[in-house]
Amino acid sequence: MNTSDVLIIGAGVVGCAAAYYLRKNGVSVTVLESDMIGNGGSSRNGGGVRISGRDPRELGICAYGVKNIWPTLSEELGIDVEYRQKGYLVCGYDDSHKRLIKDRINTAAKFGIKMELKEEEEIRSLYPYVSEHVTCAGWTPSDGVANPLKTTLGYYIRARENGARFITGEKVLCIEKIKGRARKVITESGNVYEAESIILACGYGGRKILNSVGIEVLMQKKLEEVIVTEPAPRLFDHMIGGMSGFYGQQTEHGSFVLGSSCGRETYLFNKSNTVSTYSAPSFICDSIGVDIPALKKLKVIRTWSGWIDRSYDAVPIIGNIEEVPGLFVSIASSGHGFGPGPAVGFILSELAQGRPSPVDISKLHYDRFDYVKYQDRYFVSDVGGSFS
Amino acid sequence: MRRYDVCIIGAGPAGLSAAIEAQKLGMKSAVFDENHRPGGQLFKQIHKFFGSKEHMAKIRGFEIGKELLEEAKNVGVDVHLDAVVMGIYEPHRITVREDDSITSYSADSIIVSTGASEKTIPFEGWTLPGVIGAGAAQTMMNLYGVRPGKKILMMGSGNVGLVVGFQLLQAGCEVAALIDAAPRIGGYGVHAAKLARCGIPFYLSHTVVKAEGNGKVEKVTIAEIDKNWEFIPGTEKTFDVDTVCLAVGLTPMSQLLRMAGCKTKYAGGTVPVCDKFGETSIKGLFASGDVSGIEEASSAMIGGKISAVGAAFRCGFINEKEREQKYDEYSLSLFKLRKGLFSKENKGRTDITKTDEGIDLSMTLFKKGYMTEEELKKFVRNSEIKGPHPVIECTQNIPCNPCEDSCSFGCIHVGNEISAVPKFDENKKCRNCKMCVASCPGQAIFIVDNDIGDGYASVSFPYEFCPLPEIGEKGFALGRDGKDLCVAEIIDVTTNKAFDSTAVVTMKVPKEMSMTARFYRKEVPVNE
Amino acid sequence: MSKIIDRSADIGEFVPEKDDDILVCRCEEITKGEIRKAVHMGLYTMTEVKRFLRPTMGLCQGQICGENVRRIIAKELKEPIEALKETTARPPVRPIEMEVFGNEVEKL
Repeated sequence: MNTSDVLIIGAGVVGCAAAYYLRKNGVSVTVLESDMIGNGGSSRNGGGVRISGRDPRELGICAYGVKNIWPTLSEELGIDVEYRQKGYLVCGYDDSHKRLIKDRINTAAKFGIKMELKEEEEIRSLYPYVSEHVTCAGWTPSDGVANPLKTTLGYYIRARENGARFITGEKVLCIEKIKGRARKVITESGNVYEAESIILACGYGGRKILNSVGIEVLMQKKLEEVIVTEPAPRLFDHMIGGMSGFYGQQTEHGSFVLGSSCGRETYLFNKSNTVSTYSAPSFICDSIGVDIPALKKLKVIRTWSGWIDRSYDAVPIIGNIEEVPGLFVSIASSGHGFGPGPAVGFILSELAQGRPSPVDISKLHYDRFDYVKYQDRYFVSDVGGSFS
Repeated sequence: MRRYDVCIIGAGPAGLSAAIEAQKLGMKSAVFDENHRPGGQLFKQIHKFFGSKEHMAKIRGFEIGKELLEEAKNVGVDVHLDAVVMGIYEPHRITVREDDSITSYSADSIIVSTGASEKTIPFEGWTLPGVIGAGAAQTMMNLYGVRPGKKILMMGSGNVGLVVGFQLLQAGCEVAALIDAAPRIGGYGVHAAKLARCGIPFYLSHTVVKAEGNGKVEKVTIAEIDKNWEFIPGTEKTFDVDTVCLAVGLTPMSQLLRMAGCKTKYAGGTVPVCDKFGETSIKGLFASGDVSGIEEASSAMIGGKISAVGAAFRCGFINEKEREQKYDEYSLSLFKLRKGLFSKENKGRTDITKTDEGIDLSMTLFKKGYMTEEELKKFVRNSEIKGPHPVIECTQNIPCNPCEDSCSFGCIHVGNEISAVPKFDENKKCRNCKMCVASCPGQAIFIVDNDIGDGYASVSFPYEFCPLPEIGEKGFALGRDGKDLCVAEIIDVTTNKAFDSTAVVTMKVPKEMSMTARFYRKEVPVNE
Repeated sequence: MSKIIDRSADIGEFVPEKDDDILVCRCEEITKGEIRKAVHMGLYTMTEVKRFLRPTMGLCQGQICGENVRRIIAKELKEPIEALKETTARPPVRPIEMEVFGNEVEKL
């Protein structure tokens, strides 16, 4: 009974999207989820759908999603995922930030993406809600936002409706090979599932599962925290971020969802759950109050946090694994995996059906960390509102 | 960050009691409350409490609140008011909003005594202004002196519904009816009887169909329900009321405990899994009062003390032996309160038909809020007794004994088991001091003299309404069902300090009415 | 650990009820019928229903409607209320202005 063409581990946005696209092609799918639908990073993010500020290696996937999937997703699913392409404003406060923005503009230009530098005067007139503290800004008109909860659950609802079998609370312990190919999955409850291909898309938890077939990836768990306000009249409809590390949006509903980290999370005592820490929400409120003073009077009604499965170079690992034929992965989204999520789900569904990826994903290969040479060292920066 | 040995969240009966106990045991204690006034629900409680002396019985709730607050100050507890605890973090850290800032406090132990909030029940029109919680009604009346409405329908016949229903009458509101979906009145019979003799009808197995009105409640329709909670067509009744009070239960405000990550279970709401000291699955994190399971203020006060004892041991202020000694003392007191017909284990049972003493319970009391004379006769022997004597209409096993303590002449017997039904000892002589009438928290004791001459009897009854009747005035004697019985003349109105605002009114009624006349209404002349 | 739920298991058809249009969550204006329908769309946990429809997500954070929402979902799944996991309780317990939340001070 527990046999299907494709087995997906993880019911996040990628897993649910992959299941949806596989069912569209009539492929039988089982999705195993250790917790519930979309309870990881897929539901715990700012909802950014952005191409700007991306590492060139993942830009292709992001652009594919923004071009081919996001604009028609609500229509396709029959569920409003609240996607709107109204731009992304990244706030900077000094000359070093201006230089960083200029670098991003250059990178974007190479890939034909329009991004502009906004100087002080223009900021004052175009974005009157940001404070004088903001002296420069990057503006990318093609970026946007969506509702991560409805996107993930929307894919799930339609995939399930179309016959994908979802089993939640079923924690996968290991993958087993049969005749050299990934074919079998064993869960904590002792259940065994078999499939022709396996898609692994379950965040940090995927690391242990990969270990079970001898694969190690360079990953770290990092807490990211978010505050949610009461609904307010529309102030702006674009995505916003700041060089102080925050990012977020005013949702369709009217509430502001704003995230950041205060840098101390990783060092906190025995942090075992996703209830926010005592310091980060205060820090977020304080720093956002500086950049967007109009929000200071709004009430925060909820805070939450989520784990980022961050790879060594903060770029996701996507694609097949040579040593384990039949296994396709999307892990280490590194805190910006929601925006490309639908595209990644689609790409994995293609790979699992033996078809090539519509975009080049070769540079996202898992073994890129295997050989360290001086010139290959990655300089990784946390700064810059780069989270989606 | 500020440090205390123990931080207590919530300055209600449990929290204040815990703080006092903790401070007495040598712990530097702080109690935080989000309200401007401490005391939790105590300051709304204008009725006299049940229990025995050790439980502060027959004292009105707000007086208990004052006493606790005074004691907390005297022993040196830091009371933080307008202090909202926003979050609780591992290990033992809380963040508190005070004025326009946030401060972190840490403590070796934390006692959560955040109490409960009112449940709601959605029905058509429940979001109209005028549908309010019974607790909200109580806050308006008893804290702010505002009548919640003119004419009110009370939904829920538990003690909250009964007590607040009566307080609404005291505040001068009209109570159209008291309804409950259950087939039996859920609260104390004595509370129900107070309402019934004021003429308030009870509709059991009834619930609200809809509330209607133009921008506010103007009309409410109720109907009888069957076993499957389906409305029975044709049983609809409509009331022109402007307010619906919901007294449909309480749910523990356990968010802080859940946030801290302690193990919980469902018991009419989410409650923490605790040991006998109220310690949760997280060491040093305690819960006491309603947040650990809905009871009432008297048991919450003891629960608070027990948690403080647990916390004191956890922080090394007392040793295990001292802890167990204290626990034994307090748990005995708690044990006494947790007995009787309304105890946890008997909750919701409808198969109990006799008292612990083996006397048939009044079924009419469960249905209509009053007893028939036939039913009462099983408890009270009256006709042959000469002279004034107490008629005790307290017929359910409720843990309460102020009546026994109030009689200096030993006329009333309850015994060690305080949930026993009180009995008048006919061998003792009643001196008509009326202390028992004023002391009974259930207002269930009457002094009856079957023969005062000229074919009349006298009936003395507790009276807590304004204005008081005047001696010589005439009106109607009312039966237990609140219906007019006969003309009555007021022959005495006694108030004194020991009665604590409960007046004892004596009326003269025809002899044959001595066991039926239980209340009084002033006759309003037709031309007025 | 969460219990294992096969989301393809048959919970029966959605059957309209007379009081489906009653508001259950007042903050976010969600009706009983919407919640019941969401369950039939495969949202078998309180958290999923919350995330999709927003009941218990408003100013009161479920203090008022939480138990009613939980009961409706449990009933639809034909389970006792205690079998259905609650949503996570999160700080702040009461709504708090951003400027106050951001003003963390040391008090001695």
